[in-house]
Amino acid sequence: MRKPTPKKSTRKTTPTLPPALKAIADSVIEATLPNGLQVRLLPSDAVPTCSFYTFFRVGARNERPGITGISHLFEHMMFNGAKKYGPGQFDRVLESSGGTSNAYTSNDVTVYYEDFMSEALEKVIDLESDRMRSLQVTPKMLESERKVVMEERRLRVDNEIGGLMDEELSSLVWKAHPYRWPVIGWMKDIENIKREDCLEYFRTFYAPNNATLFVSGDFDPKQALALIKKYYSNIKAGPGVPPVLDAEPDQKGERRAEVRHPAQAPSLMIAWRGPQGTDPDTLVLDVLQYALSVGQSSRLTRSLVFEKELAVGVSVDWTWRFDPGAFTVVLELKPDGDPKKAEEALYAELAKVAQHGLEPRELEKAKNNLAAHLLRELATNNGRAHALGTYELMLGDWRQGLALPSRYESITGDQVRAAAARYLAPERRSVVTLVPLAEVAA
Amino acid sequence: MKARVEVPKLRPLKLPRHEVRTLPNGLTVHLVPRGPLPLVAVRLVIRGGSAFDPIGKLGVGDFAARLFRRGAAGMTADQISDTVDFVGASIGGFANEENVILSLSTPSKHLEPMFEVMGKVLLQPDFPEAEVELARRRTLAALTNDLDDPGSLADRALVRATWGSHPYAHETIGGKKDITAFTRDDLRQFHRERIGPQIAHLYIVGAFDMDDVMATVERTFGGWKGGPSSAPVVPIWDGLARPGEVLIVDKPEQTQVQMRIGAKGVKRGHDDHFPLVTMNTVLGGGFTSRLVTEIRVKRGLSYGAGSSFDMMSVAGTFTVSSFTRTESINTLLDVALGEVRRMREKGPSKTELATVQRYISGLYPGRLETNENVSGAIADVVHYGLSEEWISQYRERIAAVTVKQAAEAAQKHLFGGERAIVLVGNAEQLKAKVDKYGPVSVIKPSELE
Repeated sequence: MRKPTPKKSTRKTTPTLPPALKAIADSVIEATLPNGLQVRLLPSDAVPTCSFYTFFRVGARNERPGITGISHLFEHMMFNGAKKYGPGQFDRVLESSGGTSNAYTSNDVTVYYEDFMSEALEKVIDLESDRMRSLQVTPKMLESERKVVMEERRLRVDNEIGGLMDEELSSLVWKAHPYRWPVIGWMKDIENIKREDCLEYFRTFYAPNNATLFVSGDFDPKQALALIKKYYSNIKAGPGVPPVLDAEPDQKGERRAEVRHPAQAPSLMIAWRGPQGTDPDTLVLDVLQYALSVGQSSRLTRSLVFEKELAVGVSVDWTWRFDPGAFTVVLELKPDGDPKKAEEALYAELAKVAQHGLEPRELEKAKNNLAAHLLRELATNNGRAHALGTYELMLGDWRQGLALPSRYESITGDQVRAAAARYLAPERRSVVTLVPLAEVAA
Repeated sequence: MKARVEVPKLRPLKLPRHEVRTLPNGLTVHLVPRGPLPLVAVRLVIRGGSAFDPIGKLGVGDFAARLFRRGAAGMTADQISDTVDFVGASIGGFANEENVILSLSTPSKHLEPMFEVMGKVLLQPDFPEAEVELARRRTLAALTNDLDDPGSLADRALVRATWGSHPYAHETIGGKKDITAFTRDDLRQFHRERIGPQIAHLYIVGAFDMDDVMATVERTFGGWKGGPSSAPVVPIWDGLARPGEVLIVDKPEQTQVQMRIGAKGVKRGHDDHFPLVTMNTVLGGGFTSRLVTEIRVKRGLSYGAGSSFDMMSVAGTFTVSSFTRTESINTLLDVALGEVRRMREKGPSKTELATVQRYISGLYPGRLETNENVSGAIADVVHYGLSEEWISQYRERIAAVTVKQAAEAAQKHLFGGERAIVLVGNAEQLKAKVDKYGPVSVIKPSELE
């Protein structure tokens, strides 16, 4: 059997990194176990704690109608007992070892992490490898967790206006791609997911060759790697993940929908179809996102909130995804706000960028903020492991993440103009308007 | 096997150097140099929070502090924003119950020019008429829009049901009427009379050169004068405003009820602090707490449940929070009240205590990772008059709590009958279900604006 050997990463690191980022890059140790598990170690002794991240390349994107929400339900099930550590044991053992855990599911990935005192490293590796090797899905635990998830859906979607609108927006933007359904799943699907679905899901997606570990904090990397090998090596590789077909047809024009719900004020969620995460235009849209909405001097904030007072809040979301994603603007209006006027003013601002691009100072400002954002992300053990892990999954290599400031630096005003013109075109957009219903008298 | 309380071996905390200097105008400056990232966090804490807002002008301090950066020393709001945003920094002001806080976060290489801006914003805010009116319209709209969020409605209602008319409730009882009444003179008066260097502490944490920074601080803040010569004092609290009552905020469209149970807690730095924090973590702190186990894990009643102590200078509250579908509200309330009673009567077990002691101690260093965390932790020690060892010995003190101490703390500080219940949901369906917990009153969301 081929043995994994630790290798220092300095060789591949871009020499132009600023000192703080170079120090991080130089500290990373990488390994691949024979079963395909990817391991990245980020030692740092600033505080006597560690963060242990497990990234699985599976999310709502890998689901199908009828079992939407299984990725997220499964994320919950991962805390409900495996062979060595039974029901309720995961959190109990972890907390009594001086640690805590959480997880999240997105359209593309499912991510688990533990933050803990350094002494608990072996225990955490034991716990995590146990559930990757031998998760137990009992009917009783599944029923109980199903109810918890239904309550989570009631909290985040059914009783939350933003959640309702977001759900409407996704099914408007995507007609064929799995991005069209909510990560938490449709209520009926959550109710109907079978134990057999869960078992098949586990076998397919929770294999070591579909996972990457990122460990950061105060530990001895040699010892950590030895422990990871000891606990993970006997987990069998999976058959490989079936590809996701992107059958999304071209959009032929603007799409619109309304959500009618009791609310104090109207609001708008507008999305334009963008490129996939690895497309170079993704970074250009990052710059555009920052120029439009980050800080009180950003274009949309200054224009729509402070000058024209058409909105009380503006936010822009541009989340990188495996497949082409959506550039989304959310406008929160005043109680007597006019959504039509707000929408027109937004489009006028975007048209300006598409026509004239950004001022040189605006461009530089966006780049400065993106660079500062990266530094702040890297300030904690948890933040470092999460950021580098996310960059690796989305861009193919964590080095790409540390090189981001220099890649942003090379983006020109003309590229931003061209991206705005191309991606924020009227025929690419989908618009959801919240129409407030008066509150029913008690 | 006999459970025993094991005091974990703890790796030492690497605490950064902390130097204190006082400027001739009385401003206390705390310098905490640390790396490795080229970032600095600055936090100016002034004892002039909303508890000291005058009746009829509640919220005026927060309103003014947020306007500091919307025009100062002749710079327009746009000029300030552009200068700050350009370098990837941020500056902001606000007030909480006890303090007015102005904060700056910046890459190290821009610290000096950002300090210049912060100095202008603090010392010479212009409160331009147009900005005041704009802020008023935005604040009123945001207040109304908040009524759509059941969780924040529940929290607002809980403040009324617990603090009542005590100054700690100022933030939420001022509302629309007061905001409409603020004048520019009120804002200027606040700036002139309620804040000043003698009741302020400036914390600077991150990668910087001590001498350079002190020179900059003296240049930018040295001329600050006026304001109170001693910190104002918050009056004592008579106790829970609506003990035994049930307050429903009616949102008929809700299929889920937000629940809060509020009661009297303790002030920050109370002698029982460590036993209390340890005990509460067993009850409703971590993910294996009794509340999570009974409400979520065993019964699937909710996605989340927890309890917490909110501690301020002179008093504090205790809150149990959760939510469930409307049909299950009785089960949820019975389980939550039952768990508080069980803890009050019997305290935590040895095993439970040992678990949370490791849990709290193990994670504590993570609360000192960022510059912002460190400045917040040191500011708390100063503000609440805690001992020097509060941070350095925190883990050891948690580890030293005994089962007996934790049980006594539960017995002494957890509520018996003296609690208020707040529910946000469909009042029609809820009323008959919950009148057994106490006299029920129903209010509309708009009454909380």
